[in-house]
Amino acid sequence: MPLHILLILVIGGIAVIAGLLHLLGLSRVTPLTRDSARRAWLRAYPDDPPADILLSDDRRAALIALDRGTGLVWCFGADTVARVLTAPRVTPHRRGLSLRFADDGAPRVTLTLGHDERPVWAKRLETAA
Amino acid sequence: MSDLTYPDVVQLAVPFFILAILVELGWIVLRRRGGRYETRDAVTSLLMGAGNVAAGIVLGFVAYGFFMALWAVTPLDLGTSVWVVLVCFVLDDLRYYWVHRFGHRVRWVWASHVNHHSSQHYNLTTALRQTWTGTFTLMMVVRAPLILLGFHPAMVLFVGGLNLIYQFWIHTEAIGRMPRWFEAVMNTPSHHRVHHGRNARYLDANYAGVFIIWDRMFGTFVPEQATEKPDYGLVQNIGTFNPVRVAFHEWIALMRDALQPGIGLRARLGYAFGPPGYSHDGSRDTTQAIKAKHLARNPQDTGTEGFSD
Repeated sequence: MPLHILLILVIGGIAVIAGLLHLLGLSRVTPLTRDSARRAWLRAYPDDPPADILLSDDRRAALIALDRGTGLVWCFGADTVARVLTAPRVTPHRRGLSLRFADDGAPRVTLTLGHDERPVWAKRLETAA
Repeated sequence: MSDLTYPDVVQLAVPFFILAILVELGWIVLRRRGGRYETRDAVTSLLMGAGNVAAGIVLGFVAYGFFMALWAVTPLDLGTSVWVVLVCFVLDDLRYYWVHRFGHRVRWVWASHVNHHSSQHYNLTTALRQTWTGTFTLMMVVRAPLILLGFHPAMVLFVGGLNLIYQFWIHTEAIGRMPRWFEAVMNTPSHHRVHHGRNARYLDANYAGVFIIWDRMFGTFVPEQATEKPDYGLVQNIGTFNPVRVAFHEWIALMRDALQPGIGLRARLGYAFGPPGYSHDGSRDTTQAIKAKHLARNPQDTGTEGFSD
């Protein structure tokens, strides 16, 4: 197949599929509840049940208190990602807090937090660090 | 017969891939069952597929040069009859089984293959979430016996392309089970859903490409359980839709682990060529450890499918 035809097919195909998915409402993030955050955590760390869960006001992230430290669950498209926090680099962000991890598969996450939430989360994250 | 050529069937199949994705998406939206789609996940998968084709164009000469060098030294030439192509297809599928098995049991090869499992979705776009770094694994050597036996390199690559196309349609939740005879011999959506499951029961199972008989022969077959839906993705799911990160994250992690200060040669080799999840200090879990921990929590599963070893 000539390269220019292949390029048109590939670029056009990706654009059409992406546009269609977005128009169908399939770009929406699935918000967390305390229950779904717990399930998402246990899905990743079945041996570390949460002692407590702090859900962000926008329901896009949850801090997980553990016997052995602190974890974080956050929304990732229609799904979730979870990590035990080991010395994350926490910096202020205009929307809340930005976390950087020494993890090539999940290098950073930005948490959208209200002004009253930020000090609470920052303190909990400091403890994790 | 060194100038034998076959069509690049994977490139020719691109319009079919796009059409089939649209049909599956339509089915899911209209019927409200049969799988899930999410925009960024699907786009990442499609970009990985495009990158795989690009990598093939850029780096394909490495493998092809290696194969032609072997072809130049082998005294055997089986010709190009239909029967020879069929035998080549079956033997290449056996080759695929072992490369795929190495891809899950040797971190050096997993670093390339991991991206195919990095989606938490299972739909036709997942099939196209292919590696960009396959050449780096040097798994092309597993094809060497086929060339040395007298199968022309162009034929070997042709049947490899057909193998890849076959595997496209099995990446779907829209198809439940195929007829019993088909499920017994061929790789199917049901068998391959198991392969993509991160459930302890389903880890390191069903490596087949086209014929599931290889898994049945070599003891790696696990049937899909009506009571346990596969949970798709990685044991530790990634948190990025960036295709470059998806393609290279495990290579970077491997290098970071293997080159860290203060560990011996054995540990370095373990990080590079041991099973995924190997760690010198026991801080991570291999598949074996994950299954053992699952059984400690769920002793009733002992001896059941996927936990029989």
